[in-house]
Parts: sequence; structure tokens; C-alpha cells
Amino acid sequence: MAKNHNIPEYKAEWKAGEEGKWGMAIDMDICTGCNACVAACAMENNIPFVGEEDAGYGRGMHWIRIERLWEGKYPEVKTEFQPVMCQQCGSAPCEPVCPVFASVHSQAEKLNVQVYNRCVGTRYCANNCPYVVRTFNWRDYDRPEPLNNQLNPDVTVRQRGVMEKCTFCVQRIHKAQDQAKSEGREVFDGEVQPACAQACPADAIVFGRIDDPESRVSKLAKQGRGYKLLEDLNTLPQVTYLKGGSHVRNG
Amino acid sequence: MERIFDILKKPAVYYSLLIAVLAVVGGAAWAVYETQIPPEQPIDFPHNIHVGLQIQCLYCHPGAWKQASAGLPTQDKCWACHQQLTKYWDPENPVPLNQWPPELQKLAAYVENDEPIPWVPVAIVPDHVHFKHRPHIAAGVACQDCHGDMSSVTVAENPQLMNMGWCITCHQQKTVDDPVKREKLISCETCHY
Repeated sequence: MAKNHNIPEYKAEWKAGEEGKWGMAIDMDICTGCNACVAACAMENNIPFVGEEDAGYGRGMHWIRIERLWEGKYPEVKTEFQPVMCQQCGSAPCEPVCPVFASVHSQAEKLNVQVYNRCVGTRYCANNCPYVVRTFNWRDYDRPEPLNNQLNPDVTVRQRGVMEKCTFCVQRIHKAQDQAKSEGREVFDGEVQPACAQACPADAIVFGRIDDPESRVSKLAKQGRGYKLLEDLNTLPQVTYLKGGSHVRNG
Repeated sequence: MERIFDILKKPAVYYSLLIAVLAVVGGAAWAVYETQIPPEQPIDFPHNIHVGLQIQCLYCHPGAWKQASAGLPTQDKCWACHQQLTKYWDPENPVPLNQWPPELQKLAAYVENDEPIPWVPVAIVPDHVHFKHRPHIAAGVACQDCHGDMSSVTVAENPQLMNMGWCITCHQQKTVDDPVKREKLISCETCHY
């Protein structure tokens, strides 16, 4: 890939056998850009509705967004849809810049976690994120009746001045791990599903263990169609996108 | 500087400053005291009597066994036992309700109106902490290790300040010889998400 980014080369410290734990594969051939994942994510993770005015200022809050990519010239136009959420980078640019260690790497789950109660809102992490997936609570957004009744008790409701981002639905991971442990077994493949994967009507989002070569997600990622977003930045993302258009061009 | 000292030596200034300092210190002490006393409960529930009767904690707080929250009993759970007490409910010689102990009369009123008892939770953690009882019970932690000896208190109270240092200290002590488990138990996202 061409080195067109004007940044100094950054060598990630990625030791053998540390390729992460949880991962995602998103098939762009199947994704129809229906936005069900965006809605499901907002419901699961207590993401507030910012309203028209704040959204106009670019303060909209979504942990996952659908990027619409146009290809070709009118009238021969093709669209591709790409859901983009936190890539849970193994070598995350957001982590070293946080002055209060609110953006830290979890060694246990190999996830990039945001500790809301530590965050002081410098927004440095969001500025350093090449995927622009972090969102900031510019206000305490109110949830008029009866919207407050749909808050998920498993997820903290964030305050004003706190940065937040996709957690790979870590509350569901914990729930499955807890359930598996109480039954004396390991978490099986497909037991954990983040809200976006669960809501996807076309099953374009597949979630699972990428350190397990037998899991569905690692098999999909090794298909040959897989690529990572901004791979040359060496952020080592855990999300693999499967190239679209293969059924049109070369079968 | 000398002028300031001169002003301070005036009795009016001196005494008003003294009163202001005393008010601030007293207010702070009162606020700290307020956080340390157990909250007032709708019924002065005597834990010591119930624990003394060998009733298991999990009988009234069964959620601790399999859920995140231990739960507080509803009026039905209390009444299931209390309506069988032959002391007051002997079919041959029933004690009229107005001669029951006052706390049991309150319970009877809740049952009569079919209202849940608005217990005030005592052992609570902030909203940004996701505590689960089940793994702790499964790991063999006894109720009294965190909640204190309930056979010596009437209304529930906290034996210690439940803060993060207290959690982490125990997590580290219990995982001295298991680095993998320790990694998991002191990781931020285990409790904060």
C-alpha cells in the first residue's frame, strides 16, 4: 500500500501470540447500509439523542456509523456501505495521549477500554483517532419520558464532558463469560454477539474470538478478501472488512 | 501586611472570622457524619434476631446466589413466615393486630395495602461500577466478609467504606499465585464499562 500519510513511521510492538482476543469480520458484500446496527448500538449502550442543532455542529453521537462510498460516475454509479466502529486497535493511537489514563488497554480482554469515571474530557484521544470513532458528551442530554425506561442497566450512563466509544459490547462479553463459568465450560463461538451483530438482518457482522483459528470470524478473516482500515498506520485493528463487489468483478 | 494584622485584631472582625471558621468546620464534620450513619429504614428490621434464628442470608437475599444484585425482600416474603408465627397467630387464641409489636404492625400494613416495602439499600456502589454478587459467592467469599457480622446489628449498616482501593486490595490478595486471574481481576473493564 502506498505510504501517502504524512506521518513518521510507527512501529507497533506486537509480540507473537498476542494477536488480540475478540474480533469482528464485516462483509461489505452483504451489508445493505440499513442502519439497524446504528440503532441497536444506541439502544444497547444508552447513547443519547443529541438533537438537530447539536448534530448540525457535528456533535452527533454514534458508536458505529455507516460510511457511504460512491464508485464510478453517473449514471454508472455503485454504492458501498462500510460500518465503522472502534477498531479496538492492538496498538491504539488514542491510548498514549490520554493524560489521566482513561483510555487504556485491557490486558485481560485485549480490548481498548474507556474508563468514564477517569475521563476529564481533554478530547485528545478523539483527535488522535485515525478512524474518528470516539464521541464526546458535549452536554447532559435529557431523555424525555418514556425514553428513560429503555436505559440499559448494564451500561453506565455517561455525563457531560466524558469521551466514549464502542466497547465491543463488553457487558455482553462479561455476561457470557459469567454464564459459562457458572456452568463450568468455556465461552463457545457465537455465544457473544454485540448489539450491532445481533441486529444485522443480513448477518454481515460476525463477532468472535480471533485467537481461535476454528472460530467463524477468524475463518472469514482468512478468506483472502479481508483488509483492515488504514492498515499502513500499523494500529493493528481487530476488525476485518471483507471486500465487496467480488460477485460482480471476478466471482 | 501589618495593616491586615491590625484589622484582624479588631474584636468584631476577630470574632466573626472565628464564627465563620467554626461554621465551615462544623458543617464539614456534620456532612461526614451524615455519610457514615446508616440510613433510616421504613421498618427497623432486626437483623440480629433473624440471623440468631439461623435464617440463611440467601433466604431473603437470594439474588446473591445467581445474579448481580442480591435483592431486598418484598412484603410477601416477610409475610410468608410471619403469618405462620403461632406466637401471634394461634388459631385458638389470636392476638389482635393492634397488640402486635409496632414494627410488625407496619409490615401488616404493607401487606394489607399490597405495597412493596421501600427498603433503603445500604451497601451500594456508584453507577459507574458494575458489581456482581454471583462470582463472589461462587469464589467462596462469605457474606460477612464484606457486609460485616449481621448478628450484631439491627438495621443494616456498612462495616467499611466500599471504595475501589478496598476492592482491589482483596482482588490482589486472593490472586497472589495466579497472574492470569490477577490480570483479569484488576483490569479496568471488569467493573467499569
